[in-house]
Amino acid sequence: MEETELIEQAKLGDKKSLAELVKKYESTVYNFSFKICRDKDRAENTMQETFLSLVKNIRQFKGDSKLSTWLYTVVSNHCLMLARTESKHAYTSFEDEDASIDEKKFTDWSVTPDKAAEDKELKKLLDDSIAKLHPDYRVVFLLRDVEGISTEETAKICNLSVPAVKSRLHRARAFLRNELSKKFNYEKT
Amino acid sequence: MKKHEIICKDVMEHICENLGEQLDSPKCAAIKAHLNNCNNCSNYFKTVEDTIQFYKNYNVELPEGAHKRLIEFLGLTE
Repeated sequence: MEETELIEQAKLGDKKSLAELVKKYESTVYNFSFKICRDKDRAENTMQETFLSLVKNIRQFKGDSKLSTWLYTVVSNHCLMLARTESKHAYTSFEDEDASIDEKKFTDWSVTPDKAAEDKELKKLLDDSIAKLHPDYRVVFLLRDVEGISTEETAKICNLSVPAVKSRLHRARAFLRNELSKKFNYEKT
Repeated sequence: MKKHEIICKDVMEHICENLGEQLDSPKCAAIKAHLNNCNNCSNYFKTVEDTIQFYKNYNVELPEGAHKRLIEFLGLTE
């Protein structure tokens, strides 16, 4: 059955169609949630809350945007809310506009991205680096760069202007690049 | 066409802002030319791309039993 048909059936209360929609998106939602939370239990909890919102609100879904966009919006909001209710974390401040770009001599890295899938130490480095990034910036980086959602859609999901998305993206990319570079320790000062 | 004086910092800011998008403005053309001749900037560009790719490649599988727990949580068991 096509997704639009599944949505229409789900709106009429058909549990089987709802379960099919859940099955279709559960991996995407869980994976994205993990990428923001960096914790498996929280990611599962967020996934459950996200789909609970879907079940409760499917009748209000008008189809103006894709269902995946709607789900990304709900996951992002859940994760951001969770981050705000937690005790204050020492996130990196981006008040200094120039702090994100450090004009050193840049060298290429010898570690390649294909190692990210299996290298535990590298995964920890990626987790630790992104954990320092404020969740508001993290969400923009993950939506735009990692999930490949357009700048305009990212702006809609995050309720930001397009220039604000670009600005956060610029800072997040530069920050993460610098963090990884420090650990790879290949740059000359 | 107005001549654009490009320094590495301009390139880095522009790369960060526009990576993955169309680079067809006069400033972008000047930046591309600079990139072709500046190892420092092309290394920076490459490492920003690698950073994105590292995070793209880091994915997790749905834990065992998570689907069943989710369906039960939602009251969608048949």
